[in-house]
Amino acid sequence: MRLDGYAAIEDYAVIGDGRTIALVALDGAIDWLCLPNVDSPSAFAALLDTDRGGSFALQPAVPFQSTRRYLPRTNVLETTFTTDQGSVRLVDAMTLPNDDVDPMRELVRSVEGVSGRVPMQWRCAPRFDYGRARPRCEWRHGVPVAAWRAEAVGIVSWNAGTPAWRDDGAGASFDIDAGDRALLALTSAYAEPLILPGRQDVMARLALTIEFWEQWSRAHDYAGPWSDAVVRSALALKLMIFAPSGASVAAPTTSLPEEIGGQRNWDYRFCWIRDSNFMIDALLQLGCHEEARSLFWWFMQATALTVPELHVLYRLDGGLGDPEHTIDLAGYRGSRPVRVGNSAVEQAQHDIYGALFETAWLYSEGHQSLDQDTGAVLARIADHVCRVWRQPDSGIWEVRNGPFHFTHSKVMCWVALDRAVRLAERGELPAGGGPRWRREAEAILAFVEAECWSESLGSYTRVAGSGDVDASLLMLPLVEFPDPRGTRIAGTIDAVNRLLRRDDVVYRYHADDGVPGGEGCFLNCSFWLAGALARCGRVDEARALMERLVARANDVGLHAEEIDPDSGALLGNFPQALVHLALIDAAIAISKCGAA
Amino acid sequence: MIASAIAGGVIGTLAMVTIIKAASELGMSRMDLPLLLGTIVTANRRKARAFGYVFHFLIGIVFAEAYGGFFEIIGRSSWQLGALLGALHAIFTSTVLVSVLLPVVHPRMATPDTAANKITLIEPPGFLMLNYGRSTFVVTLVAHIAYGALVGLVVRV
Repeated sequence: MRLDGYAAIEDYAVIGDGRTIALVALDGAIDWLCLPNVDSPSAFAALLDTDRGGSFALQPAVPFQSTRRYLPRTNVLETTFTTDQGSVRLVDAMTLPNDDVDPMRELVRSVEGVSGRVPMQWRCAPRFDYGRARPRCEWRHGVPVAAWRAEAVGIVSWNAGTPAWRDDGAGASFDIDAGDRALLALTSAYAEPLILPGRQDVMARLALTIEFWEQWSRAHDYAGPWSDAVVRSALALKLMIFAPSGASVAAPTTSLPEEIGGQRNWDYRFCWIRDSNFMIDALLQLGCHEEARSLFWWFMQATALTVPELHVLYRLDGGLGDPEHTIDLAGYRGSRPVRVGNSAVEQAQHDIYGALFETAWLYSEGHQSLDQDTGAVLARIADHVCRVWRQPDSGIWEVRNGPFHFTHSKVMCWVALDRAVRLAERGELPAGGGPRWRREAEAILAFVEAECWSESLGSYTRVAGSGDVDASLLMLPLVEFPDPRGTRIAGTIDAVNRLLRRDDVVYRYHADDGVPGGEGCFLNCSFWLAGALARCGRVDEARALMERLVARANDVGLHAEEIDPDSGALLGNFPQALVHLALIDAAIAISKCGAA
Repeated sequence: MIASAIAGGVIGTLAMVTIIKAASELGMSRMDLPLLLGTIVTANRRKARAFGYVFHFLIGIVFAEAYGGFFEIIGRSSWQLGALLGALHAIFTSTVLVSVLLPVVHPRMATPDTAANKITLIEPPGFLMLNYGRSTFVVTLVAHIAYGALVGLVVRV
């Protein structure tokens, strides 16, 4: 199951509580958990260093096979271990607070004997601060507690053996018979006393958590095609919304590699402006109006520090992104460096203005009108777009050898000004800027038509004047780019199909981007292709592609950023919000276009 | 004293909101007190700021009365004494009043413990309100010192 101690990326599932997310491997080990928040330093990071990262393993002490699923329509994971001596069911969840004296964060592991008598073992070895801190291993009334500075983790257990500390890890062995139950609760605190809960309280919170997720799924039901995949994506996205601020994290992990052994390892635990329009659109399509409003409010608050310029990404608390640095971990299967922070924050990426305006437009269309202050801020940003769109930038893919005149960035600047004009016409932005925004939008359109089209490729190009195609251009039909000649978007889709597609999945480009090493196919681009085909009327083609892409998910319906087209192995940070957003968009687009 | 404290509270609050708004326009802080206060009663951003300004001025008057009471107890007032009280007021506001107590009573503000089963609109201020920008405490301190100095200047004992 493991290679050099590392599980395959597709062998992970996620559990979370809207504040942090844990990655649980198929063999029952929790190899990634940051505390107290998803963007805090890790307590378990065996995902990135099996020796020093720390983990919380719970599994049979004899050879086993395992299968798993989420409890229907929840983010509660159920793993079934089958051994020669019997089988055991493990339910993992991060519980939601009950407005009582709840632990600051709580991860519950409930074990139930299904058949026979199975010897079990567990070991919890927290390693704070990305494995750099050696914890103080202590006892509180018989409960093992690991502490470092203001952080503490306790492991409360019932019928799960007698715990003992060994090599800075607490663990025990126990046998479980059919019908017996054991329970473990990992409780954590930061800058406050640790809460050591009672068994009934833990069980009550677990029941409440299951009930909440079931209710949430029922309230945001989707009856179209690929409903299981769409609902699973919605549940995964809900986990990635950081409840204390409403921001959404791009992925809960850092430095899962885009190529095994490679250097393309990035920290995605930030909120990208770019994802916002997809997120708002998906939330509104699924009836999550409150989440959409919360996210929009967060964007208006977060961007207030930098207006009229926008940063590419923001911290989940609304602050500006942290500087990128590397940390001394071995890296997933030797993929180094391991990075914390993301230097993309320093880049100019003009497409984010289009993303913000598309977000505002969708929010205004689907929910409620913008207030005067928000309208005034957006007007300042639109004026800024008029000033910057002629400048080169680093583009959607955050290339490190730029800047260039990316076609996608120009198109998204057009989106920004087009939506600004539309909002002004509805009286939601000051009307004074309207004529200038319209004039500049037309200038962008003329630039793209003249400079970003290749007759030889029969496609819009990656960069003005280049001979490359880029999968980001699949977004053109999504953002309603007008394509004045009516044939160029179809030509671009054909070019992506011809030059970037490999089986059912799509590379984002083949050009040099200033970072050494290779990468897999991008799953969000692959879903964009399905959506683009549907929007161009090629619904049968889109449907066939979608069937194959949905099947590319792991056994619990989760997608990573990328996939190795040969082996089918998942690559990159996991699970990735943008991929699940693209899946939802493609499913809805195919459903609508197919019905039309 | 009461009338002069009302006048001092209004003038001091005017200075405070001006400083905070200017800091916001300069990109120093995302703190928006009218929005924070107004969203206690409405989720409509347009109305919230209007309510928030009224609340803020009322609170400014209440605090000016408290400053006046303190001046009466010690038997003197001055702008320097007011500025000192303003600095202490800023520390209390940043560490307790807004960062801890407001999220507890605010129906639309998150706390650091808000989880997936609750949806809020306003992010919590955090310690020293640093979630609203790293210069927020400095802005708060300057604004409160200005408020206190003006109250100390206007209030007669």
